[in-house]
Amino acid sequence: MVIERAGRGIALLPVLAVVFLLPARSDTFGHFGAYGAIFAMVGLSMNVLVGYTGQISLGQQAFVGLGALTAANVIDTGTVAAEPFTFALGILAGVGVAAGAALVLGAIALRIQGLYLALVTLVFGGVTADAVFTIPRLNGQEAGVSAIRPDALAGEYAFYLFALAMVALCLYVDIQVRRSKIGRGLVALRENELAAQAFGVNVTGYKLIGFVISGAMAGLAGSVFAFWTQEFSDKDFTSGAGFSLALTFVVMVVVGGLGNRTGVVIAAVFFALISPSSPMLGWLSNKTHWGSFYFDHKFYISNTIGAALLLQTIVMNPGGLGQVVAPITRWFAGEPFSFHGDADTSTTGAQVADVRA
Amino acid sequence: MTTLATPFSAQVNLIQPIIDGLAHGAAYGLLGLGLVLIYKSNRIFNFAQGEFAGVGALMTYMIYTGYSFLPKLPFGLAAVAGLLAGILTALATERAVIRPLFHRPRVVLVVGTVGVTLLLIGVEGLVFPRGGALPTVDAVVGLDTPYLTKIDGVPLLYQNLLTLAVLAILAVGAFLFFRHTNTGTAILAVSQDSTAARVVGISIERISMITWGIAGLLGGIAGIILAVPPAGTVLPGAFTGTILTVAFSAAVLGGMTSLPGAFAGGLLMGLIEAFANADYSFIPGLSSLPSAQSEVAVAVVLLLVLLARPQGLLGREV
Amino acid sequence: MSELEVHGLTKKFGGLAAVGDLTMQVNEWEIVGLMGPNGAGKTTAFNCITGFYKPTGGRIYYDGQDITGMAPHRKAALGIGRTFQNVGMVKSETVLENLLTAQHTQAAYGAMAAIAGTTVVRQREREMAKHADAILELLGLTEVRDRRLGGLSYGTLKLLELGCALAVEPDLLLLDEPSSGMGPEEAHDLGLRLLALRRELGLTMLLIEHHVPLVTAVCDYVYVLDFGRLLAEGDAESIRRHPAVITAYLGEDAADEPAADR
Repeated sequence: MVIERAGRGIALLPVLAVVFLLPARSDTFGHFGAYGAIFAMVGLSMNVLVGYTGQISLGQQAFVGLGALTAANVIDTGTVAAEPFTFALGILAGVGVAAGAALVLGAIALRIQGLYLALVTLVFGGVTADAVFTIPRLNGQEAGVSAIRPDALAGEYAFYLFALAMVALCLYVDIQVRRSKIGRGLVALRENELAAQAFGVNVTGYKLIGFVISGAMAGLAGSVFAFWTQEFSDKDFTSGAGFSLALTFVVMVVVGGLGNRTGVVIAAVFFALISPSSPMLGWLSNKTHWGSFYFDHKFYISNTIGAALLLQTIVMNPGGLGQVVAPITRWFAGEPFSFHGDADTSTTGAQVADVRA
Repeated sequence: MTTLATPFSAQVNLIQPIIDGLAHGAAYGLLGLGLVLIYKSNRIFNFAQGEFAGVGALMTYMIYTGYSFLPKLPFGLAAVAGLLAGILTALATERAVIRPLFHRPRVVLVVGTVGVTLLLIGVEGLVFPRGGALPTVDAVVGLDTPYLTKIDGVPLLYQNLLTLAVLAILAVGAFLFFRHTNTGTAILAVSQDSTAARVVGISIERISMITWGIAGLLGGIAGIILAVPPAGTVLPGAFTGTILTVAFSAAVLGGMTSLPGAFAGGLLMGLIEAFANADYSFIPGLSSLPSAQSEVAVAVVLLLVLLARPQGLLGREV
Repeated sequence: MSELEVHGLTKKFGGLAAVGDLTMQVNEWEIVGLMGPNGAGKTTAFNCITGFYKPTGGRIYYDGQDITGMAPHRKAALGIGRTFQNVGMVKSETVLENLLTAQHTQAAYGAMAAIAGTTVVRQREREMAKHADAILELLGLTEVRDRRLGGLSYGTLKLLELGCALAVEPDLLLLDEPSSGMGPEEAHDLGLRLLALRRELGLTMLLIEHHVPLVTAVCDYVYVLDFGRLLAEGDAESIRRHPAVITAYLGEDAADEPAADR
């Protein structure tokens, strides 16, 4: 048994090699590894809200943006590198402000439910971005607000490792939430609000907890994003770009499989890699004669792929990617390998159908 | 004379926001009609409605300008092609996404329409990543001036009058359609009790097809009328990004199920936006409002309506 | 002392009184039956007692405390457990996870501790798992411990739901048609089980039940509702022979009562 577990551990080595060695190869790889890590954090934040709590959110980019805006403004480095202390303070402030905003949206969600909530979150995200992020004192106008990393994290690989540690933190929180009374309470609310109440779950409190945890994670992702670009620019989150981000985040969590953290993280990294800011497609297109097509159309490629995967998922594969990789994750967890798995022990969580509407 | 001494009406040009508001509002109403129609029949929010307009406008534009290998045709024919493109897109959406998910919870269908929206924006962008604009009605017809008359120096554009007229005709037409035709009544029957409708021999599949086809047509009309200068463009996602959320708010304001409600809600939203955007810098302390006043106003109105009167201001079944 | 007292409970939907002026009393250690044709207002009364509906009128006392209009999760924390007419549990989770969810009120740790995963949390979770195992053992459900609810039979689910209600650690247990979907033999076993639960855990119970042999076997006292009003009350035997009750059941109409379970 021990030998078998060790053998399976060895099978993880290629994965670890990709995660730790590939981004070390060059600054470009490190830079975009960190971008993938940021997406993974957003994916996990969506997972808590949509996957566990069953509340739809088409405005998650607002929390990410608030995190970035706050972190950058707290630290506002100018041209010098941040002190480690103010750096930490900036990140914490980003988390706090985003969590606060999520609390507000959560309070709204207590009154407005279902499809109308989807609409409200969409409007909430758009308005927060367009009204708050464009305030000249906060967005640094054309120049943006600079957020230069502390010296220790100046290198791309070092920053990548830092971002990875933040993902690990989110994963830890996700796991703790899921296996404690909080996660059980949230899932119970999602599936059977009446039963949850009969078990003593406080509907109001738990919905708010779901929003706050999700908002905090998104805020963390945003804070890290501010230091990734080393500045806050509202254009990353407003109007068309923000709308596109918001929908990509929904696509991520659905394609990954609601409530399935492995699937969501894989999907998030995938969408980071095909996003317009990613070098991967550009690199690929340079190797082929599709180069100019790519640069003309790069803003639409991730939309198209994402949408196609989303539709494929909800029509044909409601469990999402999480269900597809379930045999593999089960195997790593020490169970015998099987494609079908015992439906009873499947690690798959929810489907879109379980979102309350 | 200080600015404070001047009367309010002299400082704020009331004509400009009213005309702007009605013109934009008509656009919201036009998209709102399609949203209400789909909501009435399927009880879902169709986030793809804006892109039905986008596809219609884009197809019209590409044929009108003879883009790439497409033939260059007169505007009328190009517009017909645009309308057909809108209808076909909607029908394809119904067939490929809505029908397979028909008996799943509504939220799945809504996420499906979000997916269709993204896909349409993506495909439009892959086909035609640049922006463009369709000609206004005065240019198509060949009039000398783009406006009928000027009120207090503010031009009353033919295009705006056309939009309002089309909106009014469509709202009345749709109202009559639901009241007086078998198909219209059947759509309402399906929306209220699909099992009972099936029992009396209404084909739910056929009704769903027809509804989406009409929504596609409405979208196409909206696209062709709205993708004109100065504000409108043929740009992937333009309709979804700037118009759709306000159109939703308009529909919600009208109660989501009321066609005249969407019409009135649209105009009201347009006016709210226009007045929120007006220049209030003459009032001390209001010189630096955030640049997104109108968006904030729309969001506040939407929230207030949803919290205080979820059935909308005019909400009831037509 | 009476565990539960209901005084003049009224619940109106629109103008219609689903429950009108209901007064009843459940004493400690008693098993009390609530009977009546479909649509008589039994589940509505349950929902008022457990807080899912706010009563239009009347007062409800539990252990001498006025609990009228209190939110359901707070009533659960006070020790009022319930089951639902249609099984009320979390389908996508395993049997064990459902029993852990049901122990929500005993999970005495804060949200921050849970997120940090402190030793207190782990300790408490282990105790809760042990408690869950004990309940499974008590109900003979140990075999299905790690199965998801999706694949289980209706009878097993009803039993498990009873287990979940027990996991709330109630003093007062409200059971909505616990024997539905069961054959006569299973219902008989259920009756024995309820009596054993009272003996071993000192529970007080109020149950909605149609199955007359079960009511006769376990209930100390029975209230009969018809059209939202109290039609008769007394011990099971006298109720069985009560002419008004017989008429009400024979003249039963098939209208659904407004159920809390969607």
